[in-house]
Amino acid sequence: MIPLSWYLVVAAALFSIGVYGVLTRRNAVGVLMGVELMLNAVNLNLVAFWRYVTPTKMTGQVFAIIVITVAAAEAAVGLALVIAAYRTRRTVNVEELDTLKG
Amino acid sequence: MTTAETFLYLSPELTLLLVAALVFVLDLVWRRDPDRAHRWLPWVAMGGLAVALIITVALMARNPSAHIATMMVIDPMSLFFVAIAIVGAMLVILSALDYIPARTPYVSEFYALVVVAVLAIAIIVSANDLILIYLGMEFLSITSYILVGFLKRNRGSVEGALKYFLYGAAASAVMLYGMSFLYGATGATDLEAIARVFSGGLTGDLALMGFPAIALLMVGFGFKASLVPFHQWAPDAYEGAPTPVTAFLATASKAAGFAIIARVLLVGLPMFQEKEWVPILMGLSILTMTLGNLVAIQQRDMKRLLAYSSIAQAGYILIGLVAIGRDVAFGGLSGLLVYLFAYLFTNIGAFVVVIAVENATGATDLPAYAGLIRRSPLLASMLLLFLLSLAGIPPTGGFLGKFLVFGAAIRAHFLTLAIIAIINSVIAAFYYLNVVRYMFFVQPPDGGRKAIAVTPAIRVALWVCAAMTLLIGVCAQPFVTWAAHSASLLAAVW
Amino acid sequence: MLHSYAFIAIFAIIAFGFAVAGPAFAWLVRPKKPNAIKNDTYECGIKTFGETWVQFKAQYYLFALIFVVFDVEAAFLFPWAVAYGQLGLYALIEAALFILILVGGLLYAWLKGALEWQ
Repeated sequence: MIPLSWYLVVAAALFSIGVYGVLTRRNAVGVLMGVELMLNAVNLNLVAFWRYVTPTKMTGQVFAIIVITVAAAEAAVGLALVIAAYRTRRTVNVEELDTLKG
Repeated sequence: MTTAETFLYLSPELTLLLVAALVFVLDLVWRRDPDRAHRWLPWVAMGGLAVALIITVALMARNPSAHIATMMVIDPMSLFFVAIAIVGAMLVILSALDYIPARTPYVSEFYALVVVAVLAIAIIVSANDLILIYLGMEFLSITSYILVGFLKRNRGSVEGALKYFLYGAAASAVMLYGMSFLYGATGATDLEAIARVFSGGLTGDLALMGFPAIALLMVGFGFKASLVPFHQWAPDAYEGAPTPVTAFLATASKAAGFAIIARVLLVGLPMFQEKEWVPILMGLSILTMTLGNLVAIQQRDMKRLLAYSSIAQAGYILIGLVAIGRDVAFGGLSGLLVYLFAYLFTNIGAFVVVIAVENATGATDLPAYAGLIRRSPLLASMLLLFLLSLAGIPPTGGFLGKFLVFGAAIRAHFLTLAIIAIINSVIAAFYYLNVVRYMFFVQPPDGGRKAIAVTPAIRVALWVCAAMTLLIGVCAQPFVTWAAHSASLLAAVW
Repeated sequence: MLHSYAFIAIFAIIAFGFAVAGPAFAWLVRPKKPNAIKNDTYECGIKTFGETWVQFKAQYYLFALIFVVFDVEAAFLFPWAVAYGQLGLYALIEAALFILILVGGLLYAWLKGALEWQ
């Protein structure tokens, strides 16, 4: 059987790619995609831990499903905000959203 | 626990849920008659919140320590925070009565969303399981994103909401990563089971889990409580958001962040106190108050100034948690509760003045406050009181909070921390008094002839905030007793 | 154990090689006589104009947002359906309540006019 650590390494890599995306992307939707990668890394972790640590209790699976759902709700609100921002500003580039500063 | 008891203990949450649903439904029913909806729905929301508050206080009297499955714990501490959130929301709705309808055609949703946000806070502060903690935090976050971006035609509002959202989504993902490791290390998600596994001895992998898990969790919690370095969203979201929403974010939502930090660390991870979380919290606290104050000095916009001031205040509040450390009497935690309670009225009061000035002049920058004493003696004297309380000058509630929290730090032998906090308070007094200088000594551009009208609702909100700010300062004993009692059951678990 | 994975590896290599081999062979033997018309994006039909990054009407996204709710609903209903035999009436009512809440949300959006095509 594939050892647990392999899954954790893949998840860590995925998480790092997500963080990289969040930190470097200028487009709000791109940042959101980075966040989704991070969340998927978490899901991978949760399901792997479920399989190896507590295969008889469904906690990890339930947690993963809830993360998926909440991520969808979050993305829906986020995209709505992106649309609202685009309507008022004609841009979704985070660097150009600079009315508020100081 | 029987089903009836479960419903009894969940009744504040159920009431809030029903009220929010009622406001949404009535808004639909009256959609052809928006005037009627705008007139009545705020009072439906207020009435519902009042009922929820009464139920919460009644439950407090029962002094419960009730587990609902392993998911929630209803104890005096959680009820304390529910009460804070409800009172905060009521003041926010009062202050928004003129503000929101003047700026957007979507009014009823605002009141419903504020009630929903209170429900989210009620879930967070009693959550006892990582899954429910995550769910509650996201619930509050998503509601807050919408509230911040509520004026969807306003550039600042939408921009603030988008920034809040991007930071919030990333922070919650990092927090979840920490939760997944906590789950992996212990095989459990409810805090008490996690504590049991850890108390079996920190060997091998388990010992290694502590620091990274706490650090990752603190990203998400620190984001809610707007601790440096997870605060970058706060100034923009606070400035862009409709001012009543800013008041809510700076008080009730921040209090929820502290409630969850306290519960997770004290109930779930007590064995990591000495080596892991006390140093982390201490570092965060020093960073937060110092940076918040230093940046606040340079601010020329009142909302932004209060945003940085509220970041700095979060640093002081955090001292309460650090100082739990070696103090058995729990001075730190009850100090934190008193601080948050006084801070609720003080800060909302300050924002209500900002709202009143903004309603009259449309401006939030400091020059708009020039000569306020002549244009509206009421607003000026109220703001003076709130600023004195924020600066921690007696006989106000802010002083009592600072006194208890700093005192707990000294008693727990965190002398350096206490000294840094006191130096910071002095720096903070400087920019608070700068606002006072504007109000009293700077000549207004129009010579101060144009008086600022204050509506009855705002007047009521102001008087409540002012009365409570003074009452907590002058007649401290009952509040301290109440806070100590609220903290005590958590202490027993710990 | 590893042995059985080797089959998958060999299979993957063959499948990949098969896909690459065809075009590669064609590229090797085909005559190369480029001219302006041949190098056009389309040899026949209407030439494209404007940029590829055209803007879609925001309305599509708003519908997609509402769709997402029901999309994710499946994530909860699927495990419930799989374990339906063991769960019984209680879970059936729970699932029905869950769907009803979502339908309530849809009704709200509908009555608020979010489904009108503007």
